[in-house]
Amino acid sequence: MALLGDVTEFLLLEAELADANAYDEWLALWDDPCTYWVPCNRDDYDPTKHVSIIYDDRARLEERCFRLTTGGAHSQEPQSKVCRMVGSIRVVDAQGADDTVEVTARVIMVELRLGRKSVYAARCHYTLWRSPSGFKLRRKKVMLLDADEPLGNMTFLI
Amino acid sequence: MAQYAELIQPGRVHSAVFTSEDIYEAELENIFYRYWMFVAHESEIPQPGDYCTKWIGQKQVIVSRAADGEIGVFFNRCRHRGAAVCMEEYGNASFFRCPYHGWTYNSSGDLVGVPYPSRYGDDFDKSSLGLAKVARVGSVAGFIFASMAEEGPTLAEHLGKAAGYLEDFVKASPLSTVSLSAGTSKSTFWGNWKFVGMDGYHTNFTHKTVLDLRQRKQGASYSRGAGNSDKSSNESWDLGNGHCRLDLTGKDKVAVGSASNTSIAANIPDTDDGREYMRLMTETYGDEAPEVIRRSRDVHIHVWPNLQLIGSQVRVIRSLAAGRTEVMSYPAMLDGVPDSINTERIRSFEWFSGVASFGTPDDTEVFERNQIGLQSDYIPWLVLGRGLTVAPQEDGSLVGNVTDEVPQRAQMQAWLRAMGPESAVDVAVRTEGEAK
Ligand code: FES
Ligand SMILES: [Fe+2]
Repeated sequence: MALLGDVTEFLLLEAELADANAYDEWLALWDDPCTYWVPCNRDDYDPTKHVSIIYDDRARLEERCFRLTTGGAHSQEPQSKVCRMVGSIRVVDAQGADDTVEVTARVIMVELRLGRKSVYAARCHYTLWRSPSGFKLRRKKVMLLDADEPLGNMTFLI
Repeated sequence: MAQYAELIQPGRVHSAVFTSEDIYEAELENIFYRYWMFVAHESEIPQPGDYCTKWIGQKQVIVSRAADGEIGVFFNRCRHRGAAVCMEEYGNASFFRCPYHGWTYNSSGDLVGVPYPSRYGDDFDKSSLGLAKVARVGSVAGFIFASMAEEGPTLAEHLGKAAGYLEDFVKASPLSTVSLSAGTSKSTFWGNWKFVGMDGYHTNFTHKTVLDLRQRKQGASYSRGAGNSDKSSNESWDLGNGHCRLDLTGKDKVAVGSASNTSIAANIPDTDDGREYMRLMTETYGDEAPEVIRRSRDVHIHVWPNLQLIGSQVRVIRSLAAGRTEVMSYPAMLDGVPDSINTERIRSFEWFSGVASFGTPDDTEVFERNQIGLQSDYIPWLVLGRGLTVAPQEDGSLVGNVTDEVPQRAQMQAWLRAMGPESAVDVAVRTEGEAK
């Protein structure tokens, strides 16, 4: 039970930093190397053979956060306002490989930008590494309900 | 009322062209339901019985490969009482069976089964009740086009000089074929479809962060934005019939394998697979291989009205309303190359293209702001006068500096011809500054 509590705390912190568009603090939650994956079209496609909405390794994740802070990322000026709920959190493997914990959750995001409100829902899978200083995100897979629908501007942190 | 010719003038265009719902409806009839529209790529339906569903304007069509390999494009509408007979985006089927009363069509669109037929009279003729076919279908380099007009220019006539670039695009494969097998990046934006064009003027401003990212990676050696200024030797081309392209190679064509600071497509990696790819290409194209690769990598063309090929990607544009557009993008996979070459094409696609990428979201953001701006039509004119005086080349092409509005004017002229310069439309054209 203690583990689920710690995991929950971590996922809520991640959600809070993403909602706040706190790119640097959010980036600091990630391990190196890491994988940030939002599949496109279907959740189970092989990302080496199929396009993804996001398939960031550590270097590209850093580019993503840099881009959003350097000024001139018009698609986030003004920034999206996002309010997300993280729920149905489950530890699916408490003893993952290399000292990791496998976690699944459901996320509902409401995003508001330039007067338009959008709702996104996703099943998420997280691999958390138990680092000496607490959890680090080694892998996050966000399976959007809308992965196969035409989407608008998704440049906020998903 | 105004005539279309009043809306499209030599160096300026009226904003109603982008904001009027009447004009949107007229575009469906005059362009989308008449011109040669890109509908699908042959690789999406490789086997007999394969089909995919696509949209031409507001009409859904089934692109089907029949048992004999023939490709047909049919309206997705049962000939009985009109229900859509197919709801899958991709599939393989010997028959399309209407869910309503069970009429059944084969993959050539013929009506082959009608339940309880005895209640129809003797004159009931199944052979005249096949799925309605889009009048004309043709393909070039695997790109399938369809036109609802029974008559008119042939596909070859319509494509004209653009056809060669379709061929160039697929020649990055040693088999000279590509596959749209890596899925579809699907997007929409709140703006007019005609904003999706070929524009070499916006790059350094709309894509400011792309320059930032390149500079971050390449450091001091990076000459920021040099390829997209009035001093650049990059070019913008009008190929006729609304087709246009950007030539981002500069006059000193960059060598294959060396870093191109203009092309957004991937270079050949210095790996075993990269060398194997070069070997395969040389096997097919001989000494021409580097030039074939360069030409393919630098394809940057709009095939009017609804297709773009940019580097390694295919983009398809559909208008949903005056202020709403759908864009489907595909990273084109090269047939017959090591897997990692295609994986790299996918990763490179994702960097710039897609709803959460570092490039196209800023384009669509700008298109949306364009739509907002154009609603304030107190002074309704958009100025398209950059490079207005460039002279035609021998073959009739117009070639300007990359930042010239040669492509925009080319597309507006093709649009005007399609809509009919003399045709009337419900727009009040007034003198500048004068209140409405
Ligand atoms: S509408 Fe298709 S069978 Fe009746
Ligand atoms: Fe752009």
